[in-house]
Amino acid sequence: MREIRAVHRKSPAGILVVAGTMALLVALALGLAPGAWAQGKTLNLSMLAGFKEDVLRANLPDFEKKTGIKVAVDAAPLGELYKKQLLALSTGARYDVLFMDEPWIPALSEFLSPLDERVKGVDMQDFVPTTVAAGAFQGKQYALPVDPNVQILIYRKDLFAQKGLKPPATWEELLKIGKAMHDPAKQQYGFVLTASNDLQTINYMLLAMWSYGAEIVDSQMRGALNSEAGKKGGEVFLELVSLAPPAVKTYTFADVNKAIQLGQAVMGVQWASGAKPLEDKSRSEVAGKLGYAVAPKGTRVSPMRGVWTIAIAKSSPNQDAAWEFAKWLSSREFGMASTRYPSAISAIHSPRVSVLSDPGTQQALPYAPVLLDSLRVAKERPRLKEYADIQDSLRIIAGKLTAGELKLDAALREMDAATNKMLGK
Amino acid sequence: MRTRKLLTVLALIPALAWTLFPLLWILTASFKTELSLYAKPPQWIFSPILENYRRVLFNIPFFEYLTNSLLIATGTTLGSLVLGTLAAYGFSRTRFWGSEALRFLILVTRMVPRMTLVVPYYLMMLKIGMLDTYSGLIIAYVSFAMPFSIWLLIGFFDDVPLEVEEAALVDGCTPVGTLVRVVIPIAAPGLAVAAIFAFLVSWNEFLFALILSGVHSKTLPVVIAGLTTDLGPLYGEMSAAAVMVMLPNVLMTLVLQRYVVKGLTLGAVKG
Amino acid sequence: MGSVQSRRWFLVPGVIFLLVIDMVPLVYSLWVSFYQWWLVRPRDIRFLGLGNYLSLAADPAFRRSILVTCTLTFGAVLAEFLAGLALALLFAQPFRFLRPLRAVIMMPLFVVPVVGATMWRLILHPEMGVLNYYLGLIGLGNPQWLADPTMAMCALILVDAWRTIPFMFLVMLAGLETLPAELFEAARVDGASWLQAFRFITLPLLTYIMLVAVLIRGMDVFREFDIVFVLTGGGPGTATETMQMLNYRVFGLGHMGQANAIGVVTLILVALMCYLLIRVVQRSR
Repeated sequence: MREIRAVHRKSPAGILVVAGTMALLVALALGLAPGAWAQGKTLNLSMLAGFKEDVLRANLPDFEKKTGIKVAVDAAPLGELYKKQLLALSTGARYDVLFMDEPWIPALSEFLSPLDERVKGVDMQDFVPTTVAAGAFQGKQYALPVDPNVQILIYRKDLFAQKGLKPPATWEELLKIGKAMHDPAKQQYGFVLTASNDLQTINYMLLAMWSYGAEIVDSQMRGALNSEAGKKGGEVFLELVSLAPPAVKTYTFADVNKAIQLGQAVMGVQWASGAKPLEDKSRSEVAGKLGYAVAPKGTRVSPMRGVWTIAIAKSSPNQDAAWEFAKWLSSREFGMASTRYPSAISAIHSPRVSVLSDPGTQQALPYAPVLLDSLRVAKERPRLKEYADIQDSLRIIAGKLTAGELKLDAALREMDAATNKMLGK
Repeated sequence: MRTRKLLTVLALIPALAWTLFPLLWILTASFKTELSLYAKPPQWIFSPILENYRRVLFNIPFFEYLTNSLLIATGTTLGSLVLGTLAAYGFSRTRFWGSEALRFLILVTRMVPRMTLVVPYYLMMLKIGMLDTYSGLIIAYVSFAMPFSIWLLIGFFDDVPLEVEEAALVDGCTPVGTLVRVVIPIAAPGLAVAAIFAFLVSWNEFLFALILSGVHSKTLPVVIAGLTTDLGPLYGEMSAAAVMVMLPNVLMTLVLQRYVVKGLTLGAVKG
Repeated sequence: MGSVQSRRWFLVPGVIFLLVIDMVPLVYSLWVSFYQWWLVRPRDIRFLGLGNYLSLAADPAFRRSILVTCTLTFGAVLAEFLAGLALALLFAQPFRFLRPLRAVIMMPLFVVPVVGATMWRLILHPEMGVLNYYLGLIGLGNPQWLADPTMAMCALILVDAWRTIPFMFLVMLAGLETLPAELFEAARVDGASWLQAFRFITLPLLTYIMLVAVLIRGMDVFREFDIVFVLTGGGPGTATETMQMLNYRVFGLGHMGQANAIGVVTLILVALMCYLLIRVVQRSR
């Protein structure tokens, strides 16, 4: 029991209230600093957090010096970036320029400024043609390509050399080699991919299905995966899963890298953006022992294309400054710098032929030639506003397939049903 | 007694191992390269590297985010203490028609999933122009922390006998004065608990920080989540960041932990 | 007496603040849940009445997510309750060396949930994780933690328990410390064993606290998101897709109406649990 302290008559009312209110007011005052939004020469950029952000930040001073335009970088993690951009753009807030993954462009296109007029003043010849297409939707150009990505084949060239093998050109060849080199007892697996309910799983499945000629939607916009080609691709996919480490059912993008880095996989397909860490000695036991090749074909070569682009918000009051930034980000200068960024893990590829075929680039990024070749034949996902939803449904169904909840036939049927439902058919 | 002591120590071993193992894992991971993280058998003795800490502290504006988090958390703690204390005192010392229902309502509104609240908040802040500011986040976090604080503090204030207050009033103290000079010192432990929880709520919160912050008010959890990159989690950097982010909480607990248990003791009986 | 009435006005700032900040978004969310609103098509907003709720009720994924959420809640709360109680009993003993160790036990609460879950994901990895290595050493096999639906649920309960057992521990320790020592003295004098004392003194007096802890925790686990998201992402397949994971998915695609409907249903279910808490608490007094 505390003793009652002596109390004064007429104690000042609410010392507590006053102190607390003052504290709150201080916090509020700190908080009401005006944002950079309305101030002339500063651009608000929505960026992907992580490595690409590092590369950008390292090179940003060059841009600011050259043009006098300042750029405020608001980075969000990969899983949240789309959501944040969608929310901001649809409510009319905050961004001048956006670093945007190509599948989002159809959905976000109505909030973006068309660039067709501006593009006329730029030499587009140096870009790999498919990368420019990545920024287009319904005949209008909404974004410039910045960081192209594509699925490539990675294999242990040391093990291949031992057996006098060449990298496989078709899935049949790949499966043969994979089965021959598959030795679980020695923790050596023929192939690695993902088979969880992660997004990559459906991308792998599509890689296989597309290579036999299947399509997600046909010319009438109906689901078309449940076909002969789709079935063949699905079977190849499941065979690949059987050649992978047993925990493949929990694998995500990063686990594929880990399996390769720890020397557990003889072959694998991975996005080119994931390849650099495979050559980092502090992370990878097989650095220097890897070979790269274009993804195998079924009846055609069709690795999935994924290009990160730069787009300008329609509501931005700084259209010209934004265009300067977009030009710079897709320029040769930036491309040369970004591909050579001195880090064991990060790089922003360039969509320009001149950069990718430059010998210096090929030294910094051993897979650059394969990246270039693959980009030329890369296939895009359907350019639909509903694609994010379709992809999400497909992702879940692929996850159920690999988890054993569905058989292949049923899975393909469900995929088409989901696509049709989203497209209102 | 001897056997009891022995048994207690024996029982403590698995409990402490269970608690400490992942924490030690995180600590050692912060000093390891990624490759040695996967080594089998797991290395507990190794030569540490400082690379992870260096990358976290210098590749990203870590101190800026740390400052943001600190300011926002402090603002949250102050705000929820002030408003919560006033409200809890009011609830404790009055009963009127609907006061029980009001208490229930306050608790229930907190039970809405954060995801459902984030868009309306976002739109509200957009309209007032408080997106990407400290105050926007502080207001949100205070509303998260207050209901639990109120509920807790009501219990504490209930424990303060009315006679003490009445004596103070007889001596000429104003109602607010009584609160400040008499009641609060007795209930100080409860305030300590409420402060810790409010700080934790604000310090660890991710979703609202992600959506409502931009360039100026980004907090540490958003940054840490960003370390799960498109190339997968950067375990080394993430561990280093986690260790540094934990430190303020650990320090605070070591200082206040006496109050915490004592505080819950007094408050829990009344609820 | 006049001064006690005036205390009523102390409520005003706090309550007004909460009502504005909490009720306005809540009402807004409820209102949106009656519409179809897809962010991608911001001009195509249609009134659906109860449409979103009806399609949720018809959706097997949603019904399943309710089941998953309840399983997770039940499992986690049970585990945390038992472990917390055991720890509290352990620490309630009057040994001096126990005092500083309390802070250690509390530490998992201070780890940012996302980070804790990420590290656990690494620890639980069937091949590259540390846990299976040690389990293998003592011959407990190689459980496929995140690949098997049942094991995935166990993993979620495990990680959530690790993080929040300290909370249960604290609450029940506090309760134990308020038990009057005289009762135990009297029991010992009468020759009662520890077990009997526990059954007839500790348990009845602690009932209120235990129920409060269980229900508060239940309400929080029900709305748990971070750990499920990082650890399993709802997988394998959809085996661990809780209501919040579903909410996140739908929300992330910009379907505001449906997402809010899920949120409102969650709120209703949690409010029911909350109401139960109040009633039980009132009855046990």
